[in-house]
Amino acid sequence: MSAPNSNQRKACWGARDELWKCLDDNQDNASSCEKFQKEFEASCPAQWVKHFTKRRDFLKYKDKMQTEGFEPADGPKESRS
Amino acid sequence: MFSVGSMLCLERRMLGLVGFIGGDLHATFGRLLRCPVRSSAVQKTSGSTHHPQRVWLSSQVPLCGHHTPKHRTGLYGPFTLGSSRGLLSLPLFTQRVTLSQGPNTSTAKIRLRTRLVVTLLFGGGLLGTWWYVRNEKRQNHRMQRIEQLKKVALGQGDFSLLDHRGHRRTKRDFLGSWVLLYFGFTHCPDICPEELDKVSAVVSSLDKDRSLPAVQPLFVTVDPERDNVAALERYVKDFHPRLIGLTGTPEEVKVAGKDYRVYASPGPKDEDGDYIVDHTILIYLVNPDGLFLDYYNRMKDDVQIAESVRNHMKSYVKL
Repeated sequence: MSAPNSNQRKACWGARDELWKCLDDNQDNASSCEKFQKEFEASCPAQWVKHFTKRRDFLKYKDKMQTEGFEPADGPKESRS
Repeated sequence: MFSVGSMLCLERRMLGLVGFIGGDLHATFGRLLRCPVRSSAVQKTSGSTHHPQRVWLSSQVPLCGHHTPKHRTGLYGPFTLGSSRGLLSLPLFTQRVTLSQGPNTSTAKIRLRTRLVVTLLFGGGLLGTWWYVRNEKRQNHRMQRIEQLKKVALGQGDFSLLDHRGHRRTKRDFLGSWVLLYFGFTHCPDICPEELDKVSAVVSSLDKDRSLPAVQPLFVTVDPERDNVAALERYVKDFHPRLIGLTGTPEEVKVAGKDYRVYASPGPKDEDGDYIVDHTILIYLVNPDGLFLDYYNRMKDDVQIAESVRNHMKSYVKL
């Protein structure tokens, strides 16, 4: 299977952007964006679908960390002796 | 009436002042102390005009038509005239000014002109020195960085790869030109196309400047299993026309990657055998002597990279 060329890449990125916009508008409710999801999976190689899905999860996580803050992990507990 | 002698004394004191500012205390005190007799003599003869008051040198302005902002503040700013004890310190100028407000306006004009010239020269000298020192510092910084990168000594080895037309190319073939090198793979979802677009933009922008030598963009694959000559040929034509794609056997590619300490790790294969290669994302700049000079990560945009390459080209010294 040969790598996507420039046009195919752009089509895939376009479909991804549409899907992400839909998810943003629907608070990540996957069921309301099924059409875009199908379009996205059709335009992009399977590996890219996985890659971009992971990327979105990461971006959401990063956003959450930056806006809501986080609890720093506890250091090693002191040994009881 | 002021004798030539007292005028010389004034100039000497001026130089002393200049010396003071220049941090040369020896000159300052030497000059300031050299003519106490004269000044006291002057003071005696014109006691009537000597009274404590604020003097603006710019009051001289209507007389001689000069108007330099420098004279408003700083060195020759308003100083209150002290008693005769203040003779050896800064207010001396202004004292002279009040004293010369009398009939001798021509000597005052001359003195003012001289002062102006001296100030401007001094100011110019200061500016020039500052500018020179600043440039030297920048040059030092650049040289230091190059030394550091030389120590890191990336890209010292030789590579032997096939270009996207099937011709064998070694590192030697690219000596004599500036090279922007990027490691990636054709099945890359988004990063490699973005970085190659960036490299293409940099090369195009540098091409516009005819005075600069042409930059050679290179794309070396980290995925030799899939990226053969045909695959590379299909890939590179979407970017800058001068972009050369390079591939080879896994061994050859490994040698090239190792030379630049490129990390590359193919991920798990999925059902149709597709996989993503995790790899370091850097654009390397190599000079015409084959020396690695600089690198650019994802944070740098094409304008910044072009600027950096331009600077390297300007400060390039042939080995």
